[in-house]
Amino acid sequence: MASNAIHIAGRVANQIIHDRRTMALILIVPLVVMTLIGLSFPDESVLDYIAPAMLATLALFFSFLLTGISFLRERSQGTMERLMVAPVTRLDIVLGYLLGFFIFALIQTLIIVLFTIYALGINFYGELWQILLFQVVVITGAVTLGIFTSTFAHNEFQMVQFIPLIIVPQIFLCGVIWPVEQMPEYLQWLSVILPLTYAVEGLRDIMLYGFSLADVWVELAVLLGFAILTSILASLTLRKRV
Amino acid sequence: MTETAIDVNNISFSYGKLKVIDDMSVAISPGTSYGLLGPNGAGKTTLIRLMVGLLKPSSGSIRCLGKAASRELAHQIGYMPQLPALYNELSVRQNIDFFARIYGMKHKKERSQRVDEVIRLVDLWQKRNAHVNQLSGGMKQRVSLACAIVHRPPLIFLDEPTVGLDPELRVHFWNYFEELIKSGSTLIISSHTFDDAAHCNKLAFMRLGKIVAEGSPRELKQATGKLDATLENAFLYFIRREDKADGK
Repeated sequence: MASNAIHIAGRVANQIIHDRRTMALILIVPLVVMTLIGLSFPDESVLDYIAPAMLATLALFFSFLLTGISFLRERSQGTMERLMVAPVTRLDIVLGYLLGFFIFALIQTLIIVLFTIYALGINFYGELWQILLFQVVVITGAVTLGIFTSTFAHNEFQMVQFIPLIIVPQIFLCGVIWPVEQMPEYLQWLSVILPLTYAVEGLRDIMLYGFSLADVWVELAVLLGFAILTSILASLTLRKRV
Repeated sequence: MTETAIDVNNISFSYGKLKVIDDMSVAISPGTSYGLLGPNGAGKTTLIRLMVGLLKPSSGSIRCLGKAASRELAHQIGYMPQLPALYNELSVRQNIDFFARIYGMKHKKERSQRVDEVIRLVDLWQKRNAHVNQLSGGMKQRVSLACAIVHRPPLIFLDEPTVGLDPELRVHFWNYFEELIKSGSTLIISSHTFDDAAHCNKLAFMRLGKIVAEGSPRELKQATGKLDATLENAFLYFIRREDKADGK
């Protein structure tokens, strides 16, 4: 089983490497976005507060979109049908995609984190490796969410429609722009079930207050649980959506 | 070797309320080519998708090589879908090599030799390093066939394999299919052209989810009672006979 997941991961990575324009966009777009954010918050303390939330949001957004569209393409061009006939399990496919995209999502995150810290000059107190490791967990959930969501879209247009449905509400409800505590109580309850809430809280605790990964274990556990849940759901819905 | 390569017993299948396969039974002998011939919407692709395990029948059963659909059986099946179904960003060789890997061809040297062999078989050696998105439709069909046969499966399902091919390439494909049959493979081929049908050992004329007639091309032509009957004549003969029986 594991070997087929690795073959799929290798093929996914190979496809992205051969698509030079996509590769360039993966590397450049996050830098453009973070530069705009940096320029639009001239007050250093506000930028320090917003930056960790934006790192989590961009990791979620880019990984979700990249995986979702690619996975959808696998179905629309008929290769998923071929894979389903082959001796490949649904878990192989989900794990293969997770591993394949993970490498690029990780490179993207590394660029965003380093750019935010060193080019935008935000103040942070946590360990860099702990920030990156926390982001790894955020990416894992975003990739599996992208795979799961794509099983409900029949084309790229429909997939893009999931952004205002799944990503945008999280930006407003998960403490990215204003604290969750300032929202009406019923919206606070809603924020409890959204993964970005834990990604933002955890990353802020590490970057702003110098917490360690052990201190944010609750957020890590919730994000890992979310990744496992979406992986299982993606595996279950895969065959029905070929 | 089992007596029948494929046993389809009284299967039905619907997409929502639309019945696509209606109480169908088929028995296909090993080492033969079996053609599913019929117009668009006859249920050919759905029947193939049921036989390869992509769909589950709402009733009835299907056994391939004596087994129900399973991962073990998947190793023995080669499937060429209607769409070329290839990775456009990858080269011809990378596409075929990927399918060789997932079908369990672990030994690198052996896999590499086999990949080269099928590239030559489909006459794409000059294009082996070209990306699929740089190929013509016919070339993509050839890569798709190579991906379906690279692991030497005994049971090969080809859904409209000659669509979009020029006559020369069509002959080339059929020569190769005949070689596969000689080597003991069983081929199930869907088509809506009578050219393809004439090459098959046995044919099933399909319409509206049913098999209206089954037999060798010769038997089907003879059934019309005309000495000079073509397969096209035979198809129309059975359709009209079916309509008459239904009171249409």
